[in-house]
Amino acid sequence: MRLIILLSGLLALILAATMPVSADEAELRAVIAKFSEAKKFSQTEAVIEELQALGDTDAVPTLNALSDGLLQVRESDGAVFIIKGDGETVDLLDPLTREAAGTAPGADLRKVKVKNSIRRLIADVVSGLTLRARNSAVRLEAAETMFSRPDPAMIATLDGVIAEETDAGVKTAFMQARAAAVLQSDLPEADKLDAIALMRDRGGRDVLPILTAIGASTQSDAIRAASREAIASIEESMMFWDAGQNILYGVSLGSVLLLAAIGLAITFGVMGVINMAHGEMVMLGAYTTFVVQEFIRTSAPWAFDYSLAIALPLAFCVSGAAGLVMERGIIRFLYGRPLETLLATWGVSLILQQAVRTIFGPTNREVGNPSWMSGSFEVGELLITTNRLWIVVFSGVVFAILLLVLKRTRFGLQMRAVTQNRPMASSMGIATPWVDAFTFALGSGIAGIAGVALSQIDNVSPNLGQGYIIDSFMVVVFGGVGNLWGTLVGAMTLGIANKFLEPYAGAVLAKIFILVLIILFIQKRPRGLFALKGRSVEA
Amino acid sequence: MITGFLFRALDRKAILVALALMAIALLVPLSNLYLPASHPLHVPTHILSLSGKYLTYALLALALDLVWGYCGILSLGHGAFFALGGYAMGMYLMRQIGTRGVYGNPVLPDFMVFLNWKELPWYWYGFDQFWFAALMVVAVPGALAFVFGWFAFRSRVSGVYLSIITQALTYALLLAFFRNEMGFGGNNGLTDFKDILGYSVQARETRAALFAATAIALALAFVICSGIVNSRYGKVLVCVRDAESRTRFIGYRVEHIKLFAFVVSAMMAGIAGALYVPQVGIINPGEFAPANSIEVVIWTAVGGRGTLVGPIIGAIAVNGGKSYFTAAFPEFWLFALGALFVATTLFLPKGIVGLVSGGVARLRTGREADRIEETLQPEAGAAE
Amino acid sequence: MNERLTRSLLYLDGVSVSFDGFKAINELSLTVEPGEMRAIIGPNGAGKTTMMDIITGKTRPDTGTVLFEGSVDLTKHDEAAIAQLGIGRKFQKPTVFESHTVEDNLELALKRDHGIVATLFNSTSADQKTRIEEILDTIRLTHRRAERAADLSHGQKQWLEIGMLLAQDPKLLLVDEPVAGMTDAETVETAKLLRGIAGEKAVIVVEHDMTFIRDLDVKVTVLAEGSVLAEGSLDHVSADERVIESYLGR
Ligand SMILES: Nc1ncnc2c1ncn2[C@@H]1O[C@H](COP(=O)(O)OP(=O)(O)OP(=O)(O)O)[C@@H](O)[C@H]1O
Ligand SMILES: [Mg+2]
Repeated sequence: MRLIILLSGLLALILAATMPVSADEAELRAVIAKFSEAKKFSQTEAVIEELQALGDTDAVPTLNALSDGLLQVRESDGAVFIIKGDGETVDLLDPLTREAAGTAPGADLRKVKVKNSIRRLIADVVSGLTLRARNSAVRLEAAETMFSRPDPAMIATLDGVIAEETDAGVKTAFMQARAAAVLQSDLPEADKLDAIALMRDRGGRDVLPILTAIGASTQSDAIRAASREAIASIEESMMFWDAGQNILYGVSLGSVLLLAAIGLAITFGVMGVINMAHGEMVMLGAYTTFVVQEFIRTSAPWAFDYSLAIALPLAFCVSGAAGLVMERGIIRFLYGRPLETLLATWGVSLILQQAVRTIFGPTNREVGNPSWMSGSFEVGELLITTNRLWIVVFSGVVFAILLLVLKRTRFGLQMRAVTQNRPMASSMGIATPWVDAFTFALGSGIAGIAGVALSQIDNVSPNLGQGYIIDSFMVVVFGGVGNLWGTLVGAMTLGIANKFLEPYAGAVLAKIFILVLIILFIQKRPRGLFALKGRSVEA
Repeated sequence: MITGFLFRALDRKAILVALALMAIALLVPLSNLYLPASHPLHVPTHILSLSGKYLTYALLALALDLVWGYCGILSLGHGAFFALGGYAMGMYLMRQIGTRGVYGNPVLPDFMVFLNWKELPWYWYGFDQFWFAALMVVAVPGALAFVFGWFAFRSRVSGVYLSIITQALTYALLLAFFRNEMGFGGNNGLTDFKDILGYSVQARETRAALFAATAIALALAFVICSGIVNSRYGKVLVCVRDAESRTRFIGYRVEHIKLFAFVVSAMMAGIAGALYVPQVGIINPGEFAPANSIEVVIWTAVGGRGTLVGPIIGAIAVNGGKSYFTAAFPEFWLFALGALFVATTLFLPKGIVGLVSGGVARLRTGREADRIEETLQPEAGAAE
Repeated sequence: MNERLTRSLLYLDGVSVSFDGFKAINELSLTVEPGEMRAIIGPNGAGKTTMMDIITGKTRPDTGTVLFEGSVDLTKHDEAAIAQLGIGRKFQKPTVFESHTVEDNLELALKRDHGIVATLFNSTSADQKTRIEEILDTIRLTHRRAERAADLSHGQKQWLEIGMLLAQDPKLLLVDEPVAGMTDAETVETAKLLRGIAGEKAVIVVEHDMTFIRDLDVKVTVLAEGSVLAEGSLDHVSADERVIESYLGR
């Protein structure tokens, strides 16, 4: 999966880099057209070599498609295309520009045959081409690719490009790629020791298997020692990166938990009501996203990238309205009886789940990532997926807005007053029933927003909410009620602790461990980390 | 001392219920075994099994009611005790399979052979003996309840907080039992049982006997609960429910009071689970699901908590409804169940029993009925 | 000092407690002799109830000594243990067990073994039954003995709670605002009742009702802002400038 993302990223980069300065398109097309006549493998190889001779990176998509068996010939006129999709009819793409060029029935197409030796040739040619690409980013990517698939045969080519290279960063990358290749070759020991030193400086997860392999296979004690030492040094720095990565994953999980729990914290904090249907409010938000995307798909496909922006306010309204109805219809009759509220809201959650199951079916619904939320990138050794990053940012924003609402608005003031002393607040003329109703609506609305975010990283199914509800409870119970910061700290602590435990214990055990820890923690602080104190709480 | 307890236990209501259950324990199996199928009073085997299952649920609901209805501890994890009792019995039944398993291993259950385990894990030792398994049926849930309750009650975790962590408890166990490494059959749980005490679990006679055992167990549990709630201890339970801190100030150790009720209740739930497993033929981690435990709460609420007949009536009524609904309108069962939760809490806080006794009282004197309505039991969380 | 300690039933010295930085009790010192009756007055928020919380183990003091019978450190015990030591308490807001009958309320409060086994198996002895009769008589609720406590009037609940205190047979009674919500006649009766108890048992009464305090006719301690402002007979303290300033008004 990651490889595909990487490769497509590479392709996109290559395309972007080469689009404006296409050398001689006609010439390229003429050569590519020869694939239609290449019936034998040797002929195909000849065409590939011709492309290599042209030295134009524009040929790379064609070559990659060839390697993947996607370069096909239309029998009727012998035109060459890259195909997309499978089945009865497939989409045709122009081999150079990759623009849509109509469709064709699958039966009318013939694959340009390749075998593994040709694939190897293609790989070499592609790397040779890209190593000399005009865009330095493309060259860098090429170097990385060569590093991950070292080939001693490329050493000479690499020596050539290293001599020509002017960009220092790219040059280092080339040298590292060369070092990887050297380690696979049968060059003398001194060269290999240099290569190991280079590897060691480079560091990173992908170096370790190379070094381990060389350490295991070599006859030379010096090389073995050098590689062992390099491994140790890399592992040490890796531990640091791993910790960073775990924190990152933890923060990401923590923000998901925060989103799911923060609405719960509000309703629990203000009303002392445990809303068991909170998870279903999240689910409603996710389904709202689904409906919005369906609508956009059928009637305004161009707006797909804005689907989340449209879904957010809608989800807030849908879940908020559901919450308001629930509060007015059920919960307000049960104030002062928290355990019964818990049961009644559980009933509502069953009804909502079944309603969604009846309307949308029991299976997962597909909610897409807009383009700006897909993909991933690396910072140092840290892998960051874009959608997770957005969720972290998003939950931070939601948290900040909520803080502002609570601290700066009149409604927030009334809400806090009710949290701290309900009878007092009501005798001061605050309409506590409406504060309750709107607090509940606000909490539910935020759950809806959380649903939009979760639809981006989780399956949208009627059980979506159930998956988060217990974790959300844990966050609230751990963080304590009546203080949003408690929820934040609770969510982040649980998220990070979970991710730190996972490598040692596995995901399930880590979760069990966390649950047990919280059960124990509650013994020490029955009202959470940031508990409100005072007599009103005891009452 | 014991006589005093028994004397208090056997009030008129308890005698009636116990006799009724004993009669059921005797007559239903007899009718199943000896009346011809065409006879109008014949109880078919599938009805017998189904009712046997309901009776185990009734026992579970009774157990929950002791802590919730009388002591105000809303446990959302009683399904865990039920399941643990069930697993203890399931382990016994697994070991009884012996060489008749698919892999024919005399000691290791099939799933262990499948996982390539070479030895029986230590915690499976002894489960080939019925007495040991029977002991574990009460000891394991009891011990878990003791440890959990000891910590929770001593730190005065109560109200919704307690409910939430009991839910977390059963959820953690759910996750744990799903793991193959735990050695309890993972996802699939324990099943394909052959014998119990040497009799085939499939045989009609065994099923009838299991039914009778369940009814008798329920009758005994009822008498014991009746003794408990009629004693001073039972009255203190209600004090704890209504005004926990006041109870402390007259010198009762509330944490001990709660702990005892919780442990007794967990053991009863364990017994219910142990009777359930041979009758349905399987136990798997699904029994730990938090939703199951909450369902037990609604049986109790529907029947009428804080009464001893209530949970029995509730468990049978709701499960009867469930069997009917899931067969007739499978789509609607969850709607109905959800509505039941809402309606019971809103309109029927005292459950069916409260409705009936309220109605009876209204017939007697209008004024008294009003009084009953007025003084609905206050909630534990709110009362303090 | 030491002699005071050993003779006294209750001994508080330098007790302070604060809630989130707010000092509810500040260097409070107080001694109560066995059998003594003490009235405590003071403005709202003076810390009277909090002082009772400390004595009965509900609140832990930050600093200070709280000794019972000269040797038992009350800060080391919890509510149930302190109740069993012989300290009974009536709350400012009357709390009785509403779903139990009046008689059951008293029976539950009776001084005896409160362990699990005893509560499960022991029956109420004839002696204990007589005691309940006596108390019912004292608190004038004999005619309503079989009714649920929830149905009692506010004043009757106050009396029932006092009855429960009597049933506990404590050495020290802490009575927080016993006559709030009572008629004048009932107030007089209550004063009489409490005076009857004193002598045999020590009693600490907190009350705002000055006629009632006068009726009690005992040593008065004035509390303000968490510490003792004045101590002595009612006439003595009501002449004190600071007491007039902070509590009685001019
Ligand atoms: N648990 C608590 N948390 C926070 N503040 C508290 C707590 N208990 C008492 N206080 C504060 O300590 C102060 C003393 O309260 P206390 O109830 O003891 O006064 P009081 O003398 O009994 O007043 P009143 O005459 O009104 O009954 C009050 O300001 C109260 O708000
Ligand atoms: Mg007070």
